[in-house]
Amino acid sequence: MIKSTMLCEQCKKRTATVFYNEKLNGRSRSLSLCGECASKLRESGEIRDVTSMIGSFADPFSALQDERFGDFFGLRILRAKEEKILCPCCGRALAAILNDGKVGCAECYSAFSGELSPLLRSLHGGATHRGRIPSRLLARRARIEQLSRLREELQKAITEEKFEEAARLRDEIRVLEEQKEGNGNGLV
Amino acid sequence: MAWYNDRGKASESVLCTKVQLRRNLGAYPFPVSLEAASANEILQKLSPPLEALGFRKINFSDISAIMATSYVEKHYASPAFASVGGPHVLLLQEKPDIAVTLCGEDHLRICCILPGLDPKEAFAHASEIERVLDGENELAFDPDLGYLTQSPADLGTGLSVSVMLFLPALAESLCIGSLASHLGKLGLSLRGGFGEGVSTSCGLFELSNRVTLGKDENEILSLVEEVTLQILEREEEARRAIRKEPLDRLTDRIRRSEAILKSALLLSSEEFLRLFADVRLGIALGIVRGITYEQLSTLLVEGMPATLTLSADTTPRSEHARDALRAKRVQALLHEA
Ligand SMILES: [Zn+2]
Ligand SMILES: [Zn+2]
Repeated sequence: MIKSTMLCEQCKKRTATVFYNEKLNGRSRSLSLCGECASKLRESGEIRDVTSMIGSFADPFSALQDERFGDFFGLRILRAKEEKILCPCCGRALAAILNDGKVGCAECYSAFSGELSPLLRSLHGGATHRGRIPSRLLARRARIEQLSRLREELQKAITEEKFEEAARLRDEIRVLEEQKEGNGNGLV
Repeated sequence: MAWYNDRGKASESVLCTKVQLRRNLGAYPFPVSLEAASANEILQKLSPPLEALGFRKINFSDISAIMATSYVEKHYASPAFASVGGPHVLLLQEKPDIAVTLCGEDHLRICCILPGLDPKEAFAHASEIERVLDGENELAFDPDLGYLTQSPADLGTGLSVSVMLFLPALAESLCIGSLASHLGKLGLSLRGGFGEGVSTSCGLFELSNRVTLGKDENEILSLVEEVTLQILEREEEARRAIRKEPLDRLTDRIRRSEAILKSALLLSSEEFLRLFADVRLGIALGIVRGITYEQLSTLLVEGMPATLTLSADTTPRSEHARDALRAKRVQALLHEA
């Protein structure tokens, strides 16, 4: 299953934007970190120096606006060796993608969003999607909307002390929530 | 009966319309990073529902190169699909012609080909098939980028709409180049030729949408249809201009082409295409009678090298033998009527 965003291995909360890779005595170690954890680990000496960071998959423009990020690297955008940058999900090299125009997996699009954005702009003029969406996503969105509507009604019923109606609404919510667990395992 | 045995709307200038939906499953890497075992899993998921609908399954890993090329010549598969290394499958239905290719350039490509100009109808057929598979599978999708495809050029709707045009008068008036660059600004592309591997254009062009992101399906379909109608108007104008000139030179050329087509003993692909173009224009101008557009479309596809070779009882061993076979096929079909 492809995760839609990759989480930082350290805090497991924020999105990983820094991918650290080092080779020591012929063994390689790699970490996916958020900017904040990467800063901390470097201060504590866990990871060695900025030059062993092989690159950032974050949008270079957002990196520019992130002071901490900029400080951390000591230079604004690290020009990484593209051959060494691999998609954390499918393992396809950024260089290969830029070379033959074939993206390795859905996750590549978020992992390489910064690097691919000039290409997407030249292809599609910076537009965002309009039109059809997958029916499962559509159903999921409808269910989320319905759930929030039912919860509002439930609150209202409780404050108005209509307990019979509240009980009915609670049952309805429970049924919907169970459905969600059944097939709510995808993107978005 | 396949798309090339029939005619549709605006068939004096449009051979066929091809609409394709490109989709991928969220749970697997795209074909370029896909291992054979995963590819087989995808085939297991997507083939059976289509086979249940009556689609014929053609396992591309098992068929000969010439058979694969023949499907490309019929526009049911792309050249890139035919050259995929791992497990890949074509599922085919006729009338309306729907070709579903699995694990080629994307996990799933649903293509409907209709004779003549009919983008919306073709889209409706392709969408029907998509609905069969959509609910059962988690498709790779991003709210901003739309359907995620192996090629970033297909992001968004993942919709490709193309129309095969026959524009002999415009091609001769040499304004195709400026037309093509104008179309580029509208997010469309115009390329000469009938599919890959045919070098001479002979008045055949393919108009298709380049932009897939930011425009919705209806806008893309309407854009291609409207621009096609505008191009057809200009082609019609150019044909009217031809008619005003002393017709005998053109009539002579077309009549000669018709005569060669009907009686030559050897016809190369290249020569056939040239004659095809003359005769097709001749029908539109009322110079050629007794030959139909659908017969010519049939010949165009069935005269292609691989399809022609496959149709023979004994495989033609030389170029010469193939040219002889092509001439024979052409005459057999034209005399049937
Ligand atoms: Zn973190
Ligand atoms: Zn990837």
